[in-house]
Amino acid sequence: MSEKNRATPLLDELEKGPWPSFVKEIKKESERPMVRDLLGLLERSYEEHIGHWKHGGLVGVMGYGGGVIGRYSDLPEEFPEIAEFHTYRVNQPSAWFYTSDALRTLCDIWDRHGSGLTNMHGSTGDIIFLGSKTEALEPCFADLTEAGFDLGGSGSDVRTPSCCVGPARCEWACYDTLEACYDITQTYQDELHRPAFPYKYKFKFAGCPNDCVASIARSDMSVIGTWKDNIQIDQEQVREYAAGGTDIEAEICEMCPTGCITWNGEQLVIDNSECVKCMHCINVMPRALKPGKERGATILIGAKAPIIGGALLSSVFVPFLEMEPPYEDLKELAEAIWDFWGEYGKNRERVGEFIQRVGLGNFLEEIGLDPVPEMVAHPRTNPYIFFDEELEEDEDE
Amino acid sequence: MAVATRKTDIGPPNYKQFLPPIIQKNYGKWAYHEIPEPGVMVHVAESGDKLYTVRAGTPRLLAITTIRAFADLADRYCDGYIRWTSRHNVEFLLTDPSKIPALKKDLEELGFPVGGTGNAISSIVHTQGWVHCHSAATDASGVVKSLMDELFPHFVNMDLPAKLRVAFACCLNMCGAVHCSDIAVLGVHTRAPTIDHDELPKVCEVPTLVSSCPTGAIRPATVDGNASVEIEEEQCMYCGNCYTVCPSVKINNAETDGISIWVGGKVSNARSEPKFSKLAIPYLPNNPPRWPEVVEAVVNIVNVYAQNARKHERLGEWIDRIGWPRFFELTGIPFTKYHIDDFKHAGETYKRSVQLKH
Amino acid sequence: MSQPTVEEVADAMYDLVKATHGKKNLKAMDLTKAMIEKFGDDAVDKKLCKLAIRQLIDSGRCIYSYFGGSFITLPPDEDSGG
Repeated sequence: MSEKNRATPLLDELEKGPWPSFVKEIKKESERPMVRDLLGLLERSYEEHIGHWKHGGLVGVMGYGGGVIGRYSDLPEEFPEIAEFHTYRVNQPSAWFYTSDALRTLCDIWDRHGSGLTNMHGSTGDIIFLGSKTEALEPCFADLTEAGFDLGGSGSDVRTPSCCVGPARCEWACYDTLEACYDITQTYQDELHRPAFPYKYKFKFAGCPNDCVASIARSDMSVIGTWKDNIQIDQEQVREYAAGGTDIEAEICEMCPTGCITWNGEQLVIDNSECVKCMHCINVMPRALKPGKERGATILIGAKAPIIGGALLSSVFVPFLEMEPPYEDLKELAEAIWDFWGEYGKNRERVGEFIQRVGLGNFLEEIGLDPVPEMVAHPRTNPYIFFDEELEEDEDE
Repeated sequence: MAVATRKTDIGPPNYKQFLPPIIQKNYGKWAYHEIPEPGVMVHVAESGDKLYTVRAGTPRLLAITTIRAFADLADRYCDGYIRWTSRHNVEFLLTDPSKIPALKKDLEELGFPVGGTGNAISSIVHTQGWVHCHSAATDASGVVKSLMDELFPHFVNMDLPAKLRVAFACCLNMCGAVHCSDIAVLGVHTRAPTIDHDELPKVCEVPTLVSSCPTGAIRPATVDGNASVEIEEEQCMYCGNCYTVCPSVKINNAETDGISIWVGGKVSNARSEPKFSKLAIPYLPNNPPRWPEVVEAVVNIVNVYAQNARKHERLGEWIDRIGWPRFFELTGIPFTKYHIDDFKHAGETYKRSVQLKH
Repeated sequence: MSQPTVEEVADAMYDLVKATHGKKNLKAMDLTKAMIEKFGDDAVDKKLCKLAIRQLIDSGRCIYSYFGGSFITLPPDEDSGG
């Protein structure tokens, strides 16, 4: 069946048009029987309006509980070459920097062992090798580790951390996102490869509040760069922007969420005590404004996609933390969370949901953090307060 | 034993070996950046050094043939240094701006458009769909390709009020966290799974299957003498986790699966706080290979936003200013009972004031 | 009270996985809690259990599985159908 190319009239439609075509990409590897069968199966999905994959929960490389997603076709007789079509998650280097040699090494490995198709990159950040037979898993893994690469996370473990481009190419980075990501990834190799948690735990490192890795939307522990002191202003450059057509009053002062900026045509004045570090003015005038010098990160916790109890954004956990290697404070926090949530969390309960179940107040007490008003949008509105026993006794006296 | 000789837990390679010399020299010492033309950025270091980035869109699914071609381009123009962005764009890092036109020409000949910077639509973050996912309600790559073919002018130009982030997920598990995008396109299952009671006892463990359901909708049952399960359909929220565990419980449905559209989310803290995307269109038909209804709906929302929003205003900020009634009026999208939340804390999403526009 | 060795804890874990196979899936923490209950919290702790799980997996007696959450289970060839 997989000897020659099948007709794929529906997929061929998607070779047209200006945007790069995934169908063309698949066809580039179609000298491989696996890829010919993939094209056939995908065309079938396009005809029938339904997918043809089954999940397989028992495949992996020896010793690891993550990094390989088992996948089987539900039409194995018709498409035998992709009866098994598993995915590897290969842990990407920080901020997705490569050399051409490293890319060729990865391509050569995947040329030998699989479909030759990849995702650059998966949603979590890994390099995705798409389509491997079960028998190829171990040899491919051996080649990867020999070349200095390792698998990323999947299942109930630390998922592959990722970070923005940070200080490598961004003037707004308030800490070294690449180093933090690398350090945390290396420190928690065991937690990444051997699932021991109730469910997944994601770290994402963003260098500033623009959050280019969407950490606040999708990581259990969001580390978002910020600063404490004054925005650095180059008044000469502000005047240049004004002369160049930027309407400082409308585009800067009026759009500042706390209204803490004034402009008299000569000088831009920022009341930094009112600034919430939103980045808007800095984004609009990068030559004139820069984050302050006293830099660190806000640690937020608990973001997740909808499954099971609805989507959550991360919420503030530590308003400001200095981010210097070896990141001991961050690690201490993460480990305290894993200890508590690890013991009492239910299967598939993300830490954000766990906090909602046990209450943020109780959670903080267990972790050993004091509550501060920065953690809430506003204090509670309902009067059903569960008082501690000591407090009740105090009041009785 | 064999395990002892295997290399494990080495982690990813250290990023430092992949940084070009100009980045190593100016690491953490960048002064500012500019976007001289769509798809091209220049980052200027405090030292005065200039790093040029040429950004090109990709379909995320890449053949090794293409990656090798990118590696060749990196060698030709960038001393071998290359990176990817968090939105599947590939970036070439140059120190010599005179090479930019030739690189752009080579990229465009290879079929990869240069753009995605500034107030543009960058590449659509998306999931696997029918190419590789078991619970996909629709294809991902095909919808994304169809959308980007039409949104293409907004990728290669910077003509929108602000950046516009589009994301796609192929079922409501929302892998890739599309739930905070300006426009989120989301495949939806709309019916509880059907059960193959003959096959189920042969391929699935009933206790595992029962415990897989996050809402407790699956119960053991004897059907025609077989040890199988029954599903309380009213409790099912179509997550497909049961299908993950047991292929005889079929969540995918060619007749009733479709696509929904969500708008107004953002992750950046700039100006307004990060926010979730909200439902704009609950259901559109699953219509491969080009999904014309989905493309038309998204293009309409983009156009109405582009015509009405103020400079720097993200889609969600524009809606916050004009209000949802006006959003539905301007886009012509019908408002239905499905737009009204009925999950927990739904009441917080009801309008609780008389501040209305009449 | 004498402390069990890593091997002894791994053996006890294996027995538990075998006994519950097909009835209940166990996560790493389920095994850990069961061992602390069995041997006493003065004899085994989370750290020792972690080492025992590693041994259980590296020896091939058990594997990790994913059924909407990660579990520790018997390898498929000891199963009837796989």
